[in-house]
Amino acid sequence: MTEGGGHSLQRRLLVTMATGFAILLLLISALLWTYARAAANRPQDLLLAGTALSILERISAGPEGATVDLPNSAMEILSLNPIDRVQYRVFLPGGPTLTGTEGLPVPPGLAPSGAPVFFEQAFSGTVFRFVLQARQLTTAEGRQWVAVQVGQTVEARDAEQRSFFVAGLIGLAGLSLIGLGFVWVAIRTSLAPLRQVAADLAQREPADLGAVGGAPPREIRGLFDAINGFIARLSRSRALTETFIADVAHQTRTSLSALQGHLSLAVDAETPEQMRSRLVKADRQATRTVRLTNQLLANAMVIHRSDRSSLQPLALKPLVRDTLAQTLRDSRMRHISLSFVDEGIEPGGDIVLGDAVSIREALRNLIENAVRHGPPDNTITISLVASNEALVLSVEDAGPGIAEADLPRATERFTSLSQNSTGSGLGLSIVKAVTDGHGAELRLGRSPLGGLCVTLIFKRLLAVLLLALWPLVSGGGAARAEALVIHSATDTAAMRPLIEAFEARTPGVEVDYVEYQTLDLYRAMLREAEGPGPDLVISSAMDLQVDLVNRGLARRLQLPFQTESPSWAVWRSELFGFTFEPAVIVYDTRAISREELPASHRDLATFVRENEDRFRGRIGTYDIAQSGIGYLFASQDGLQGPQMLRLFEVLGRADLKTYCCTSQMVEATARGELAFAFNTIGSYAAAQIEAEPHLGLHFFDDYNLVMTRTAFVPAAARQPEVAALFIAFLLSREGQGIIAEQTPLIPLSPEQAIPPPIGPEMRARSGTFLPIRLTPGLLTYLDALKQRDFLSAWEASLGR
Amino acid sequence: MRMLLVEDNDDLAETIIDRLRAEGHSVDRERDGNEANELLRHFKFDIVLLDVNLPGRSGYEVLRSLRNRLDETPVIILTARSQIDDRVIGLDAGADDYMIKPVDFRELSARCRVLARRRAGNASNVFTAGPLVFDRAAKQAKIHGRDTGMRAREIQLLEIMIDNMGRMLTKEDVADRLYTFEDAPSLNAVEQLVTRLRRKLEGTPLVIKTARGLGYIAYLAEDD
Repeated sequence: MTEGGGHSLQRRLLVTMATGFAILLLLISALLWTYARAAANRPQDLLLAGTALSILERISAGPEGATVDLPNSAMEILSLNPIDRVQYRVFLPGGPTLTGTEGLPVPPGLAPSGAPVFFEQAFSGTVFRFVLQARQLTTAEGRQWVAVQVGQTVEARDAEQRSFFVAGLIGLAGLSLIGLGFVWVAIRTSLAPLRQVAADLAQREPADLGAVGGAPPREIRGLFDAINGFIARLSRSRALTETFIADVAHQTRTSLSALQGHLSLAVDAETPEQMRSRLVKADRQATRTVRLTNQLLANAMVIHRSDRSSLQPLALKPLVRDTLAQTLRDSRMRHISLSFVDEGIEPGGDIVLGDAVSIREALRNLIENAVRHGPPDNTITISLVASNEALVLSVEDAGPGIAEADLPRATERFTSLSQNSTGSGLGLSIVKAVTDGHGAELRLGRSPLGGLCVTLIFKRLLAVLLLALWPLVSGGGAARAEALVIHSATDTAAMRPLIEAFEARTPGVEVDYVEYQTLDLYRAMLREAEGPGPDLVISSAMDLQVDLVNRGLARRLQLPFQTESPSWAVWRSELFGFTFEPAVIVYDTRAISREELPASHRDLATFVRENEDRFRGRIGTYDIAQSGIGYLFASQDGLQGPQMLRLFEVLGRADLKTYCCTSQMVEATARGELAFAFNTIGSYAAAQIEAEPHLGLHFFDDYNLVMTRTAFVPAAARQPEVAALFIAFLLSREGQGIIAEQTPLIPLSPEQAIPPPIGPEMRARSGTFLPIRLTPGLLTYLDALKQRDFLSAWEASLGR
Repeated sequence: MRMLLVEDNDDLAETIIDRLRAEGHSVDRERDGNEANELLRHFKFDIVLLDVNLPGRSGYEVLRSLRNRLDETPVIILTARSQIDDRVIGLDAGADDYMIKPVDFRELSARCRVLARRRAGNASNVFTAGPLVFDRAAKQAKIHGRDTGMRAREIQLLEIMIDNMGRMLTKEDVADRLYTFEDAPSLNAVEQLVTRLRRKLEGTPLVIKTARGLGYIAYLAEDD
């Protein structure tokens, strides 16, 4: 029988073969890995090159030297790769960076040239693959090189490489398995003779101790011989056991016969004196019989316990002390001077693998021997000494001891060397059985005290092993309230129902909600490095959120369930949109009739120009220099066509009023100060006009921008798991339902019915809603030059 | 002394009872665990000899309910099991001693005497052993009616040794009971104190035996 630990020939051969195959696979996979990388790089590099080219095209010579108008297409090309973060810059080689991220790394010695150069470099702790390309530009100062560097993280490439690699490897592994199958068949065939031996042994009767027959193949003849040798030894051992039983029978019967004899003589005695002397003998014989029986039982018990693997780590010193303390209670011990020496044993230094019952029995027998064979005032010294690998337990006494010549026979059963004591000859053989069962060594010698010195040498168990297990036992913290810190650019009142529902379903979590303005939140997150940051960041400014995530500040989340977010509302499994909030016009029905309202963005400019005097100072929108969401709506409008700059001019002439927030715009409209306000956040506006029946909501027919409020978990969050739970809750059916029914926000999930007044309006214009996508494309208008140009155009048209 | 023997084997019980009665003790016998338990609820004994394997309920259970009733009667467990569980003697079950059958009658008597002495020493204010009279309340020890002139610490040690007669005390045990934490006890001081007390007890049957490396055990020499 081979248990788990045994070797299997078949397994060994298979393992050898498999190792060969594995080495082969390893070599091939090294090649495959390189190839897969090249294959994965190719399409991604094309995207990078395309981006670089489209930026290069927009570099021009301005009055202050080279400048660039970052094309939206550039970031859109990169957004074709849905997962990687993006970095770019336009710079003068050896000179300043015109725009983009300063300090992007360039390998030393790489001079920008007209041809694109690809390389991988680490930037802010992540590996990026960059393209570097330049062109010559004629400026007022003469010809100069302007270089573009665009980079992406390599996650998409890594994933692509892995999938190429795995596909290739699966094929190779399949082939290897088929090869191993053949090997297995070959092994089975050649091992058949061993199975025959097994069958022979399995069918044997326990009493059949004959040799295994047959002509074994050359390779396993050694095994055959070993099995037959073992059978022979087993047969001898059985004979010994039979002898032992016969011995025991003989000893007990003899002893009992003697006892019986003395007693019958006592019964038949004629004088009381005769009877008394018989009874004294019987009593003595009974004592001997009792001791013999006790020791036979102890011997059997010790042998039995050594058969079972009952050994456990135990401390020898307290065991010895306790046993001695118990022994001392015996009144026979009163005149015996017993001492225990345990010098130099450190705590934990006395651990052995042992069986307490057996060791106690051995020690008791040794002391019993000393008491029995020694004088009444015997001196017994027990000592326990630790050496590097062993614990030495010795029992010595000042009794007569054993003669040198008799020592080898002393541990044999029924060898009582002293004729005049009541020894049974079992004491030392019990000790021998105990040391054998413990893999310990037993030595007999002469003690300096004059008598016998019995030494038991146990293997020491290193305390380190035990200590290593302790941490497993301890540990495990208690559940306590955890604070989830949310920094958010959303009204606290709007989020409260969500927070309360989340706290109710997640016991032990308390939400700490801090409200910010969009830009303040963005700047705070950029400064975040110093203090402990939030666990969750929520903002309506999608572009700023994308920028924070693109900087690598977010943590990738495995949401507990599959969310059904549309692809535009998720980026990199890091940034998650959870609302659907269209931009809307709020108007005063007393100032404009519904029919008059412009149907498209183009019509809006015309409408304002034609009614310039009527609406002077009565049109409102966001101050896009101050409001992140205002800037987002305006810049996204700018992408939809060239009318935006025209609209700015028209509005400027009509004395446009600007506001920080939707609520103020709606309030101004309600007071009659404004005829209408455009690009307000639909959700807030709708909630506000419920109390103002003279206000209306208006959507365009051409397109209506839709913003989604987004959340991400910062990389430095202290409670990332809880924060992920919160995001999952926001996206769950329950969370979306709460958004629809209990908050002014509008849920992302199309399943939820949106209540009036905005719900019916939105249904009427379905198909015109244009969600702003969460992609690196949003970074275009965050480009420093682009933003400066856009804002200065805005300021100029407003006449500021 | 009034003793209770709980033993279901009639022959063995008979011999033990005869022996103990011959020594002048009054011995009651029960053969059933439940009945023994009932009896112990209502009557006080000086010593209980308790077999383990009993009909009704086991000796350990009888002992446990006895101790649960805060009854401090000394108990000696008699058992035929050779593998004695450590916990029998410890606080868990609360036995004062145990002996493995077949028991040596002389040894049994000796252990009973020790326990009886310990109990007598605990229960009454005056402990007498031969010429030694120790008055617990007056904190005074006299030999042949003469004051021994023991100091406070020696009296304290004597009291400890009498309370724990027949039981081994380590040097640390003694130091813990003798000294408060602030006293910063030294084990050498305990040794010297024991030596002094032993000298003052010369001529009395109270013996304080030293087992080097183990501790001290007190017994009465006249018991042998």
